[in-house]
Amino acid sequence: MNNTAVRGTRAMTLALAATTAFILAGCASTAGGGEAAPEAGCAPEDIQLIGQVRNETNPYEKAWLDGGDAFAESVDLEQTRLTYDGESPKQQEQLRQALSTGNPECMVLNVLPNGDSDTTPIVKEADAAGAYLVTQWNKPADLNPWDGYDTWISHITFDGVDSGRQIAEAMFEQMGGSGGIIALQGILDTAAAKDRFAGLQEALAENPDIELLDEQTADFDRTTGFEVTKTLITKHGDAIRGVWAANDDMPLGALQALEAAGMTDVAVVGIDAVPEAVQAVADGTMTATVSVDGPWQGGVGLAMGYCALTGELDVAGLSDEQRAFFAEQTLINAENAEENLTPKANVEDFECGNLFDRVTGPVS
Amino acid sequence: MAPARLGLAPPETGRAAGSPRPSRRPDRATILADFGPLGALVLLCILFAFLSPQFATWGNVRNVLDSASVLAVIAVGLTFVLLLGAIDLSIEGVMATAALSVALLVANSRNDLDFGFMGVLAAVAIGAGFGLASGLLSTGLKIPSFMTTLGMSAIGIGIATVLFGGVQPALRSPELAEWASGQWFGLTRLTYVAVAVVLIGLLVQRYTRLGRYARAIGGAEELALLSGIPVRRYKTLAFTFAGATYGLAGVMVTTQLGSGIVQAGVGQNFAAITAAVVGGTLLSGGRGGVLHSIVGVLIVTVLVNGLVLIGVSPYVQGAVQGVIVVAAVVITAWPLRKRLRVVK
Repeated sequence: MNNTAVRGTRAMTLALAATTAFILAGCASTAGGGEAAPEAGCAPEDIQLIGQVRNETNPYEKAWLDGGDAFAESVDLEQTRLTYDGESPKQQEQLRQALSTGNPECMVLNVLPNGDSDTTPIVKEADAAGAYLVTQWNKPADLNPWDGYDTWISHITFDGVDSGRQIAEAMFEQMGGSGGIIALQGILDTAAAKDRFAGLQEALAENPDIELLDEQTADFDRTTGFEVTKTLITKHGDAIRGVWAANDDMPLGALQALEAAGMTDVAVVGIDAVPEAVQAVADGTMTATVSVDGPWQGGVGLAMGYCALTGELDVAGLSDEQRAFFAEQTLINAENAEENLTPKANVEDFECGNLFDRVTGPVS
Repeated sequence: MAPARLGLAPPETGRAAGSPRPSRRPDRATILADFGPLGALVLLCILFAFLSPQFATWGNVRNVLDSASVLAVIAVGLTFVLLLGAIDLSIEGVMATAALSVALLVANSRNDLDFGFMGVLAAVAIGAGFGLASGLLSTGLKIPSFMTTLGMSAIGIGIATVLFGGVQPALRSPELAEWASGQWFGLTRLTYVAVAVVLIGLLVQRYTRLGRYARAIGGAEELALLSGIPVRRYKTLAFTFAGATYGLAGVMVTTQLGSGIVQAGVGQNFAAITAAVVGGTLLSGGRGGVLHSIVGVLIVTVLVNGLVLIGVSPYVQGAVQGVIVVAAVVITAWPLRKRLRVVK
C-alpha cells in the first residue's frame, strides 16, 4: 500500500518535472537548443540568454527586457524573458528550473534580484551549475564576485545618493534657491529609498534656505503618491514650492494632486526616467528625473556573459572595480528630455570592448 | 425588483442562525456590533481634530471624502459578496483591466479611439463580466470563491499587462479630467459618484431580492436552499454587481491619475476587506451591510489622513495603523466572542 503511494507521488513529481521542462522548452524553443549542446565549450548559437525581472507591468522593467532582446537579436539569439511578480520564492524557483532543464555551461543569466538577501542563493546556484551571471541593483554588502565566484561576472548598480542629490539640486535651482519642499520616500526598508533620501539630505545641508516641510512614504506607488500629496497639500498649502520623490511613479501621482489643487508652479522631481515622467519633463510640468537606462541594463548583462562564453572577455582578468560597480546615470531636464522620450538600446554599447564604458566607480 | 413580494424573504435569517432563540429586543452585543465602529470613527475624528488644527477644516473634509471615494465604491460591491459568506480577491485584477480599458477607449495618447462616456460604461461592463465569470465558476463548478476570484485577479492583471504593452495610455479627454478635478458644491465630483453608488447599494440591499437573499444565504446557505431560494442565481448576481463596482473604481482611479496603469488596484483588495471587517461586515457572512462597510472605509481613510496630519513619523505609521485597526476589531467583536463558537 505504501509502495503504491510512493510510486504515485513519484509519478506525480515526474509528470510535474516533465511539464515544467516542457513549458521551459517552449519558452526557449528558439534559444538554440541548449540542452543538446556538447559539454565542453559553447558554439555561439548554443548560448542561452535569460533575462529576469520582477514584472513587465512597469515601463522600466519592460524596457530592460526589450534591451535584452535587442542584444540577443544582434547576435542572432533569442532572450528568454522571465518575470517573477516580485515574489522571492518564485524567482528562486524559476532560476532553479532554468538551470536544471537547460545547459548551464552555455547559459547567461542577467538578473534583477528581488532584494539583497535573494542574491546570495542566486549566486550560489549559478556558481554551482557553472552558468554566467550578472546581477543588478541588489546584493548584500559583504558578498562580492571576486570572492571565488568564477562565473558571477559582475554586479551593476547605481549610486542612489548621487541621483537623489542631482534631482534635489535641479529642483532647488528651479525654485530659486529658497522655499518649502515635501519629500515622498519609497518603501522605507529598501536600499534605494534610503540612499536616495540621503542624497536629498546632503543637498539640503548645503542649502539652508530650503526647508523640508514634511517627509512621508508613498511606497514607490502612484496612487499612494497622489493620496499622500493631497493630504500634505491640506497640511502645508501654498508653502509647498517643490516635491522631491524617490522614483517617478510617486511624482506622477503628486502632479495630479497638485493640478487638482490648482498649484501649477511647483517644482516636481523624480528618479528612473519612465516614459511618462520624461514626457512630463518635456512638457514642463516636471522639472527633472534621472535615467539609469533600462535597455542598457537589460542588454549589457547578457552581453558580458556572451562575451565570456565566446572567449572575448576574460572574467578572471577583470578588476574588482569592474566586477561590482556604480554605472553612469544621466539627469534628464528640459534640455535633453525630447531625445530621451523613447529609451532604446544602443547595440554598440554591447560590443565586447565597450562593456565597461559606463563604470563610474566601485560599489563602496 | 419586486418589492411587493419582499415579505416572503425570511427576515433576519442571518441573525437567527447564530443562536436558536433570538430575542426580539436587540441586545447589547448587537448594538455594539452595529454602532461600535461608528463610535470608533467619531472618536478618531475628535482625537485628530484635537491634535491637528488642519484636520477639521473644510479642505481636509473634502480631501478625506475624495480619498475615500474609490475604496467606498469597491466596498459597496464587496459587501454583497461578504454577506453571502464568500470572499472576493479579484479586485486588483478587475481594476487593472478596467483602468487600462477605459484609458484606451476614451481619447488617449495611444490610439485614436474616443468613445467618451461609452468607454466608461464599457469598462464597468467589463468589470461586471469578470464578476459574472467568478460567480459562474464558483456556483457552477462549486469551486471556492477564494480560488476562482484569485484566478480572476491573475487573469485581469494579465489582460491589463497585454493592453499596457509598455506605454501607459494617458488620458486626453477634457471631460473625464473635469470629473477628477471638478467640484460641485465644494466637494469633488468623484465624491458624488461614490455617494450615488452607496445609495444604489443601500437600495439594492433593502429593497431587492438580491440584497435580502444575500443576507439569508450568508446566514445559513443550507436553510436558504431548502426554502427554495435560487442560491446559485443570487450568488452569481452578487459577484456580477461587485465586479461592476470594481470596474467603476478602476475608472475612477484612472481619471484621478490621468492615465491607465496596471497597478490601479494595488493594495485595494486588502484595504477593502479590512474596511468591511472593521465596519462590522463579518467574513463569515450574514452580518453587516453597505453602511457598516462605509463606516469602515471612513475609519481606514481618516486614520491614514490623520496620522499624516498630526505628523506621526512615516517609519511607525504602518504599525500605528495596524494597532488601531486590531483594537477596533477587538472592541467590536468582544461581546460576540461567546456566540462565535468557531473562528475560521
